[in-house]
Amino acid sequence: MRQEFYKTLMSPVWLVILVLAAVLPPLLPSYYLHIVILSLVYVALASAWNIVGGMAGQISLAHSLFIGTGAMLSTALLLKLGVNMWLGLVISAVISGAMGAMIAWIDFRFQLGHLSFVLITLAFAEMGTVIVEGWDFLGGASGLLLPQDKGDFLAFQFGGGIGAFWVMLVLAIASILINVAILNAPLGYYLRTIRDNENAARAIGVNILRYKVAAMVISAMLSSVIGTAYVRYLTFADPYLLVSPIIIIEIVLFATVGGLGRAYGPAFGALLLVPLGEILRGKLGGTLPGLHYFIYGVVVIAVILMSPRGLLPLFEKWFSRARPKAATTK
Amino acid sequence: MLEVDHLVTGYGGVPVLQDVSLTLSAGEIVGLLGANNAGKTTLINSLSGMYAPMSGRIRFEGQDVTAMTPKQRVEIGIIQVPEGRLVFPEMSVRENLLLGGINARARTHRPRQMDHVLELFPRLQERLGQKAGTLSGGEQQMLAIGRALMAEAKLLMLDEPSLGLSPLFVQYIFGIIDRLHAEGLSILLIEQNLNLTLRHAQRCYVLERGKVAVEGASDVVKDDPRTRRAYLGL
Amino acid sequence: MAEFLQALAQGLLIGSTYGLLALGMGLVYGVSGVVNFSHGDFISLGMFLCLALYSALALDPYVSLVITVPLMTVIGGLVYWYLLRPMVGHQFLMVVQLTLGLSLVLQNGILMVFGGQPARTPSVVESKLLILGDVVVRVPHVIAFVVSFAMAIGLYIMLRSTDFGRSIRAVHQNAHAAALMGIDVSRVQTLTFALGIGILAIAAALLLPGTPIQPAQGLRYTVITLIVVALGGMTNFVGIMLGGLIIGLSEAYGTIYLSDTLGMLLPYGIFVLIMLFRPQGLTWSSSR
Ligand SMILES: Nc1ncnc2c1ncn2[C@@H]1O[C@H](COP(=O)(O)OP(=O)(O)O)[C@@H](O)[C@H]1O
Ligand SMILES: [Mg+2]
Repeated sequence: MRQEFYKTLMSPVWLVILVLAAVLPPLLPSYYLHIVILSLVYVALASAWNIVGGMAGQISLAHSLFIGTGAMLSTALLLKLGVNMWLGLVISAVISGAMGAMIAWIDFRFQLGHLSFVLITLAFAEMGTVIVEGWDFLGGASGLLLPQDKGDFLAFQFGGGIGAFWVMLVLAIASILINVAILNAPLGYYLRTIRDNENAARAIGVNILRYKVAAMVISAMLSSVIGTAYVRYLTFADPYLLVSPIIIIEIVLFATVGGLGRAYGPAFGALLLVPLGEILRGKLGGTLPGLHYFIYGVVVIAVILMSPRGLLPLFEKWFSRARPKAATTK
Repeated sequence: MLEVDHLVTGYGGVPVLQDVSLTLSAGEIVGLLGANNAGKTTLINSLSGMYAPMSGRIRFEGQDVTAMTPKQRVEIGIIQVPEGRLVFPEMSVRENLLLGGINARARTHRPRQMDHVLELFPRLQERLGQKAGTLSGGEQQMLAIGRALMAEAKLLMLDEPSLGLSPLFVQYIFGIIDRLHAEGLSILLIEQNLNLTLRHAQRCYVLERGKVAVEGASDVVKDDPRTRRAYLGL
Repeated sequence: MAEFLQALAQGLLIGSTYGLLALGMGLVYGVSGVVNFSHGDFISLGMFLCLALYSALALDPYVSLVITVPLMTVIGGLVYWYLLRPMVGHQFLMVVQLTLGLSLVLQNGILMVFGGQPARTPSVVESKLLILGDVVVRVPHVIAFVVSFAMAIGLYIMLRSTDFGRSIRAVHQNAHAAALMGIDVSRVQTLTFALGIGILAIAAALLLPGTPIQPAQGLRYTVITLIVVALGGMTNFVGIMLGGLIIGLSEAYGTIYLSDTLGMLLPYGIFVLIMLFRPQGLTWSSSR
């Protein structure tokens, strides 16, 4: 199984991506560069969420807590206590991981089942919003403004634009590779077993608590780190964007549209929908605010009704039909 | 009255019933025997329209009902007393009976049918306001049959009515079945209890792994060596 | 003491309407197992329809009901028939994602039509007060209380003593057996969903007078409803109405005796504890 991972790692596709990444961004107008960066943020977030939501089949709506911690806490630590943002990133990730572990433990201890898990994580997400909005240290309802990005790497500054692009590219690829690695490791196998039949998994002696905690902690820490990088790019730590349940609903929908539980599914969904949404917003946002979300909603409903396993499997089928001789790389 | 022609039904594309044919004339009691997992419940649910058959056809009183919904079949009088009784546990006996007669054809005659059912099962009269879930197994079987009668059945199909009942109750229920037959009802009786069924039914089919292994008049089926073999799964 | 009584009145009055919101969700869950995450956005839809009718025809929200209730009922029926019914037999989780998608569609459809500014819909009774000793209550709240309980009692009677009500309960208790009675299960599920959305149209008008509305509020209403339903027991009628009152009271007292933030956290805290320790809610399902 490990070979699969190394094969992916050695794939020539990376070379192509690297060359494109080096050549394209300087040529892109800044507006399109922004769209590319945003797409990468959501590729990273959707892939991170997939470890819990897709592989373990647990629709967690609490991930806005981890993203929000990564963004708001690291910013607050810097502004209020002067903590270097690299250290802030680590602190936030550790706290997010601890919260994730706690949620996984609660899920295990009380044997929540799928529906209760969705409901409880939604309640946690809402509580997170209320706490951030009511706590001045984290910026309250008005948010926090980071100092200007002067490109000082040691202060977690990447010079905006192209620098942010590279950071997001690294995070997105890391997030996807972690997906590939988990899917091809025992952890991935056990998570699928738990997802498909938790009782059967328990009966054959799978240590459910261990795997649930592992998945949640990896996913939470990853989301937190992405949150920190995202807020550095945005400069403004906006609680209505970063801690609201809407961000997690978007992520769930991207992952669903792409294909839950697959290594590239959520990334595919985000790559498809984020540019679509952003371009729509750019063109029509002034006259029709909300149009891009509206379209996301319509797309996800259509995909669920027509291809419940997501669009990626559909594309794979077309692809392999178009090139029947091609080696099937997953 | 009922003709089943080369019926094939299954779950998820895997056939369970393989080419089953049977007939039932008006006023007959026909027994359908078979070991566990032979496909008896699958057959009765196909007759009720719960699953679309993979092939074959079902005719009732000369009419092709193969494509009819469960609701339409209830309305033309094909009524099932399901395996395990499946009474509505949180509802009173009275409400269960009312639900039995909820179909468009029977709805307006419910008071009359209710009197008939309660006369047939005086026990239910005493328990009219009690929740069905609190009844004993035998009483629940009475309720399930009563509920089916409320629907003004023309063909009454019973799926293992003796399952889990004490011998006394089994005697009682089979007495009721005989009485309903005497009143002119056509009955398809699904059972595992071989001797009992052979005694009460005029003709029998023996189902073995989704196929009809033996059929004929009850005494013929009784003496056919294949019956016991199908039964013991040899 | 006056403050205490004031909060008591306020909590009970608003809580009754929360109960009504939750009855719709509980009914739908009971017959089709669907937890509708766009529930709150349908409430928004009801409120904005009232706003539109006020802007266009100067109708009072209570009068608008004549139009919004049938309209929303039909919309609910169509949504179930074309979007949710095809999901029967699929994984339950897909329904969660589908209704989340529906929530985005509704919320942003409203945003596109009405814009994002908070809006008010005036009503003739909006500023009328009722003074009972130390306690001052707003007339719209009293109307909401009376109508909510009347609706709840009406629904209860409908479930107990009509054929449609018994069909709903039959599908809830055993859908297979219900089908064998000749009940069209899909039809009952569709009508129940339509009924649930129709109830929301009424609840929307009850909550509307004096309340600023904005398109993004839907999720909050969904969460409040979920909390009430979890508290009362998904399919327990009396429990749900009680749950509504408890959440109404905890909101009212929370904002008085605790800080704003803690007050707002209180219902969620109660919810999490209930979910963890009593997954069936406060009272065991007995009335259905
Ligand atoms: N809902 C179902 N899904 C899949 N397989 C089923 C289902 N119901 C029954 N079966 C299978 O069909 C076969 C026949 O079952 P059934 O009709 O219940 O037999 P019987 O009533 O004679 O005991 C069995 O092998 C059983 O496992
Ligand atoms: Mg059987």
